[in-house]
Amino acid sequence: MSSSSSSSSSPPCPKKMITLKSSDGETFEIEEIAALQSKTLENMIDENCASTPIPLPNVKGKILAKVVEFCTKHAEAGADAETLRAWDAEFVGVEHAIVFDYILAANFLEIPTLLDLACESVAEMIKGKTPDEIRKFFNINNAFSPEEEEDVRRQNQWAFE
Amino acid sequence: MPALVNYGGEDQFFGGGSLCTSSIDLDRLYSMGSSMDIYCPPHKRARVCGPYAVSSYEYEGEHLSSIEELPDECLFEIFRRLPSGRERSSCACVSKHWLFLLSSMRRTEISGEVDNSAKEDKEMKTSPSGDVEMVSCDASGGLEGDGYLTRCLEGKKATDVRLAAVAVGTNGRGGLGKLSIRGTRSTRGVTNIGISAIARGCPSLRTLSLWNPSSIGDDGLVEIAKECCLLEKLDLSHCPFVSNKGLIAIAENCRDLISLNIESCPKIGNEGLEAIGRCCPRLQSISIKDCPLVGDHGVASLVSSASSVLSKIKLQGLNITDFSLAVIGHFGLAVTSLVLGGLRNASEKGFWVMGNAQGLKKVSTLTVASCHGITDVSLGAIGKGCTNLKQMCLRKCHFVSDSGLITFARAASSLENLQVEELDRISLGGVIGVISNREMKLKSLSIAKCMGIKDLLQGSLMLSSCTSLRSLSIQNCPGFGSASLAMVGKLCPHLEHIDLTGLCGITDAGLSPLLENSEAGLVKVNLSNCLNITDEAVSTLVRLHGGTLELLNLDGCRKVTDASLVAITDNCLLLNDLDMSKCSITDSGVSVLSSAGHLNLQVLSLAGCSMVSSKSVPFLKKLAGSLIGLNLQHCRSISSSMVELLAESLWRCDILS
Repeated sequence: MSSSSSSSSSPPCPKKMITLKSSDGETFEIEEIAALQSKTLENMIDENCASTPIPLPNVKGKILAKVVEFCTKHAEAGADAETLRAWDAEFVGVEHAIVFDYILAANFLEIPTLLDLACESVAEMIKGKTPDEIRKFFNINNAFSPEEEEDVRRQNQWAFE
Repeated sequence: MPALVNYGGEDQFFGGGSLCTSSIDLDRLYSMGSSMDIYCPPHKRARVCGPYAVSSYEYEGEHLSSIEELPDECLFEIFRRLPSGRERSSCACVSKHWLFLLSSMRRTEISGEVDNSAKEDKEMKTSPSGDVEMVSCDASGGLEGDGYLTRCLEGKKATDVRLAAVAVGTNGRGGLGKLSIRGTRSTRGVTNIGISAIARGCPSLRTLSLWNPSSIGDDGLVEIAKECCLLEKLDLSHCPFVSNKGLIAIAENCRDLISLNIESCPKIGNEGLEAIGRCCPRLQSISIKDCPLVGDHGVASLVSSASSVLSKIKLQGLNITDFSLAVIGHFGLAVTSLVLGGLRNASEKGFWVMGNAQGLKKVSTLTVASCHGITDVSLGAIGKGCTNLKQMCLRKCHFVSDSGLITFARAASSLENLQVEELDRISLGGVIGVISNREMKLKSLSIAKCMGIKDLLQGSLMLSSCTSLRSLSIQNCPGFGSASLAMVGKLCPHLEHIDLTGLCGITDAGLSPLLENSEAGLVKVNLSNCLNITDEAVSTLVRLHGGTLELLNLDGCRKVTDASLVAITDNCLLLNDLDMSKCSITDSGVSVLSSAGHLNLQVLSLAGCSMVSSKSVPFLKKLAGSLIGLNLQHCRSISSSMVELLAESLWRCDILS
């Protein structure tokens, strides 16, 4: 179970926590302030649906844990940009299948910062690769017929120079 | 670190090394798990492919994603963040799914565009393939400083995949400015999907030309209208699925439209044209042909509401009536070029009103073809009303007679160029009447296929000669014989170009008055298929006009022999284009010709001269200095090996054989 990782002195009033339930039944607690980074959760909070655990059937426990960690880190006050960026870089420096899960979760929960970060990292993975390399890297099936592939390559010839 | 297990589907545990190339991944998995209470059962490992990390795992009951499982909106977010057009082009080549997704991205949706790639666009590249695709740099930078590239897709190559590829590929490199699609009735032709890709990817599109696209309809045009607001020229030909809806969308969104060309689009009608007239103030040129739904309402509202810049109007094969002609006559104040053809429902009255309305003051070029409404009366009115008319072309208007033509020629005082074709009622009297007019400014007269012209002239007339006529062309009028030519020749002393193609009736005797009467020298003479012309006429010609003659065409003059070549060599100073196809010339003629050092012959045709043999090859080689075009087709006596030999010495020359 993850708890709030804030190391500052306890505030005068107790932090309001929200419970999230993943698709595989795990529950996680997250500070309301951190949860506000997700527009989906923000809407639920506004409509007072946040008193009971919020079921998130599209997000697995493993991923939800990381998402909670991300939001909590980004909600911290007093974090300087440098360290945050370094932390972010480490956060997405994982197996790219996991980054895709981050993207799916960020998309579903509408967390723009996480979406941005994860998509940027995938874009980085694509950068500099030729189409064949991209296909191999992501194990994508090539659905072109030979002539179509020829057409597309010729129109985009400059990418290969 | 738990040992890896390879679950072969049985309950057996195998010890052994890791199949995963980087065990750090497992570390991460389990490090996450250390602070969490997650139960990770033993799992199957998917097959490793390539030197890179495994891209998809399969957990029992759990499933980690591959990029192919991301929904389009997520892929979209990734593509948005690709650093440059180069990356997008690479991704476009990965799979069809990615191609179409990338091509559906609007340029505004792409963030962080680095535009120094625009400087690369100035390079010229040519495509290695045999199809008609070009990459050219058009210096037409518009508001966006974009739209340098041109693409032309033809036939089987006109597919959606190619259009999507073009949309992505041109995006970072200066943008697509001109696109033309010439389709066939193939099954995999261009559809609205491809056009939408172009629309989103190429907002700088200025010229779009669709000929016979197999299934492009209104939806595609609506997309173009929404995204490509800089569209200036639109050309729709044989588009059976495009209707008024598409045209109205274009009208309302592409306010900068300059030129519109619609041909054989059976669903386009008056509402579309009316919208164009209402919404496109910069329209300069409109051409509508063979659209059965277009009628008076559309044409009239277009002509009358379009602003004062509409200068070219072409209306052919439409069901418009006198009303439209009247509107053109009144409102065509800026029109400089007018073409009216095949207007079955327009009568004499309409043309008469058009001429009399005094609105067509700026028209300088007028062509009327196959309109039974053109009669002597209406033609006269047009001649009077179009005071600035310089060039007139009349084709297949069977109700025009001699007097009408003469009256017209006299009334149109600015007329410089008159072309008449298939006016069957015209006779020699009409031709003479047109020519013999001292005040006329007519410089060029062309008469073709007028079957009514015969070699007789009623009555004798005091005829004044025409000092302005420089070019006379009488082609394929079988009745026009020597007597007519003699008479015409006496009236035109200042001719420089004559073209008497196909006048098999004329003889040397008919030609000589014309040759002798010319005070200015003849420059271009075309006597092709004048079967009765002999050496005598040619000799007279070159003797009198050798100092000025530049082009001489004796194609098909079978009676012309080597003697003419001798005469040409002796007399011609400036000749650079000589056509002796099918003449009765032999090697000795060619040798004489080639020995003329002063002649700078550039184009020579000996096609069909079966008496010219390989012996002429060395003579032809002598012409290497100036010759750039040589026609040796059907020269049966010259073998192809000799031709190749010749090609080696005449390397600058284009040889047809």
